[in-house]
Amino acid sequence: MKRRLLRGSLAPPENDSRSLLDAQRRDLPGEATMRRYRDDDEVDVCVVGAGAGGSVLAQRLARRGWSVVVLEAGPFWHPDRDWVSDEAGSHHLYWTERRVIGGTDPVELGKNNSGRGVGGSMVHFAGYVPRFHPSDFCTRTLDGVGADWPLRYPELAAHYERVELELPVAGQHWPWGDPHDYPHAPHPVSQAAQVVWRGAERLGIRMRVGPVAIVNGTFGNRPHCIYRGFCLQGCKVGAKASPLVTHLPDALAHGAEIRADCMASRVVLDSSGRASGVSYFARGELAERRQRARLVALACYSIETPRLLLNSAAPGFPGGLCNNEDQVGRYVMVQGATQSAGRFPDELRMYKGPPPEVSSEDFYETDPGRGFARGFSIQTVSPLPIGWAEHVAAEGHWGRGLREYMRDYNHWTTVGVLNEFLPQAENRVTLADDRDAHGLPVARFDHGLGENDRANQEYSGRIARHILEAAGAQDVLTIRRYAHLIGGARMGTAPDHSVVDRWQRTWAVENLYIADGSVCPTQGSANPALTIMALASRLAEHLAGRPPAA
Amino acid sequence: MPEIRLGEHLPNLRADHRPPHPSWLPRQRRGTTAQMIGRYPDYDVMENASSWDRATREVVEARLRPPSRMRFFGPSEEPTMRALCDTLLAQDRDPKVPVSEMVDSDLAEGKEDGFRYADMPPDETTWRLVLAGMDGLARRADWPDFAAASEPLREEVVGRFAAAELAAETLGGLNPERAFLVCMRWVLSAFYSHPWAWNEIGFGGPAYPRGYMRMSGVGLLEPHERPGATSEDPVGLAREWDE
Ligand SMILES: Cc1cc2nc3c(=O)[nH]c(=O)nc-3n(C[C@H](O)[C@H](O)[C@H](O)COP(=O)(O)OP(=O)(O)OC[C@H]3O[C@@H](n4cnc5c(N)ncnc54)[C@H](O)[C@@H]3O)c2cc1C
Ligand code: SF4
Repeated sequence: MKRRLLRGSLAPPENDSRSLLDAQRRDLPGEATMRRYRDDDEVDVCVVGAGAGGSVLAQRLARRGWSVVVLEAGPFWHPDRDWVSDEAGSHHLYWTERRVIGGTDPVELGKNNSGRGVGGSMVHFAGYVPRFHPSDFCTRTLDGVGADWPLRYPELAAHYERVELELPVAGQHWPWGDPHDYPHAPHPVSQAAQVVWRGAERLGIRMRVGPVAIVNGTFGNRPHCIYRGFCLQGCKVGAKASPLVTHLPDALAHGAEIRADCMASRVVLDSSGRASGVSYFARGELAERRQRARLVALACYSIETPRLLLNSAAPGFPGGLCNNEDQVGRYVMVQGATQSAGRFPDELRMYKGPPPEVSSEDFYETDPGRGFARGFSIQTVSPLPIGWAEHVAAEGHWGRGLREYMRDYNHWTTVGVLNEFLPQAENRVTLADDRDAHGLPVARFDHGLGENDRANQEYSGRIARHILEAAGAQDVLTIRRYAHLIGGARMGTAPDHSVVDRWQRTWAVENLYIADGSVCPTQGSANPALTIMALASRLAEHLAGRPPAA
Repeated sequence: MPEIRLGEHLPNLRADHRPPHPSWLPRQRRGTTAQMIGRYPDYDVMENASSWDRATREVVEARLRPPSRMRFFGPSEEPTMRALCDTLLAQDRDPKVPVSEMVDSDLAEGKEDGFRYADMPPDETTWRLVLAGMDGLARRADWPDFAAASEPLREEVVGRFAAAELAAETLGGLNPERAFLVCMRWVLSAFYSHPWAWNEIGFGGPAYPRGYMRMSGVGLLEPHERPGATSEDPVGLAREWDE
């Protein structure tokens, strides 16, 4: 399985996105000449959501000659015009329509974890793209917690490799999980991240540079990173991966239609109980429309996919589509994402360089000595001023104290952890009483932490602090937060505990598939985007029937 | 004067856990900062504006235009809103970043952040209840309203608000801890989106298409960055505070 790659020189098979891009403009090439279908054309597949999962699926299937329509609630981005190199000015990239949050430990949504628009959440994701470990697929068997997946790591390995070539991923040799190399060399390490590295080294914690989905070398017309630090505001340069540059150009070139500004409202069934299409609201039109399709794939992510199913109640499915076993919306997970910042005598200027820099998975798997199951990863991050203000305020500072810490911004560096929180049935998405502009009930997400989660959070917070202190930090400020979403329509071996089977097909409707992060039964402590893409790649191969000619 | 390298100005490192009076800070010599204080007296981020892409420049420059009149908050709420934002951010003299107007304009346009706590009303309602609550607390201390109250009283009230010590009834039944976080989320994202705040903290600002070159090596500056003030720098401390 281990394959040595030649740095910066290998091209991915069956994906020409990198050369289709325009070297001077950031628009998605092919938008003007894009094939357009009519609502009553019965297309081979209607994909809902043009994010990480939906885009990979659309690209793969279009490439095999399927007729593809992708409905996307958000806009078709024109990055030169629509994106800015500015925190507050990037509000429109996020899913900012209302959702209700509850439970004992509510999770703030919006800019923290969900995107809206062609390219999905990866448009403003940080760019870390580690793989899951082989152990993540069987935590129930290995550790007695979480759930086993209905597939194992080796089934996904080839898709990990393929997607890593397509993004492409830059980083050092990866010693953890299934050890592997990356196609592009590691990026230079920023001043701020070097300090974290030094602290970790003194404690004997291994750090590695990357892995990040940021071009570092020759890759078609994709530009090199200019180290400007605005990855979470959308990469105006085009160096950081998102489906907008990695998969959708190729999808359009193969006849897929991306229908932006179209909010899916319901999956429609025919009288035999098969999906016959998707109802949606196009922006600026009052009447609901309906796209016909032979197969429907939902890829709206962990909050909106369950919401869409619950909003699709139909005869035979009174409590929401695919929800007769009361499984839709359950087992939604977030990762604990506590961030600690350390203060140093010299200026570190953490705004320079991409926020994702160096990381460690030394604490990823269960260590019985720690007193809890599973573990966490460590990654540097670098908040910009508004993010830094939220960090300072989290310790209770306001007024003059807050301004004093804020003025000290350039002397700080930040390290974050990602805790694997365990799946719980009661951490779930339901429908709220609030309604959106189309009159559709919005999602409510209830979330609470378990004992194991809290123990993990405590322990990892101490490690982050030790790293900073070992590096010589004079003061430490910590913010407890969450990141990433996963689960909500998980896969399993039977309908009584899952929504989809091992091929991501819903148990209830034979031609309805789910192709986003909501199918994952556990989350590991790796960031999820690469795994979501690899799963969509595997699903596409299953649907279309053959692997690419490598 | 606190020793900057040692971080003697940081509340956590001080015996009383309180920040020093801002009069220790250098006065801004270039560009503008809120209250004309900051740690980068010779840095004006706007001098880099010609290196920014047009879309970004328009967004940032718009923040420097005179603020529009308040539309969301009514005439009776306006002074309370100003006084609350000033206290939350210690903007005790001109020039001030017009945070209340910035928040007002986003609220008027119906901007949302993508979530509402199940036990909280929409942010618009939270703001109105908080302002009414601040006025109520000032009146209890025999001031006509929050804006007319003395600075120590305002700081005391906001301090109790921040420490989640206010009873829910004083805020129209709101969960006080969450209400404080809502207010902070709005005012912080307004204040720290303003170029005057970037000057004060030495943030590089937008960086496209130019980007950064000097990444690896502690203390390396780009040609357009300016070093921070050091404690040896005797020039132009904001002395008039004491005058
Ligand atoms: C600030 C931030 C940082 C992150 N950093 C990282 C990171 O470093 N590494 C990492 O791996 N992951 C990161 N993530 C998470 C990662 O981006 C997501 O896990 C991933 O993009 C999810 O993929 P998806 O296909 O499931 O959904 P998405 O990519 O979110 O795509 C879903 C799409 O569906 C659309 N949609 C939703 N409902 C409807 C509807 N009813 N009709 C039509 N369209 C709809 C949405 O608009 C969206 O475009 C980050 C996320 C955020 C927000
Ligand atoms: S740091 Fe690099 S990858 Fe991130 S936004 Fe800037 S150019 Fe893009």
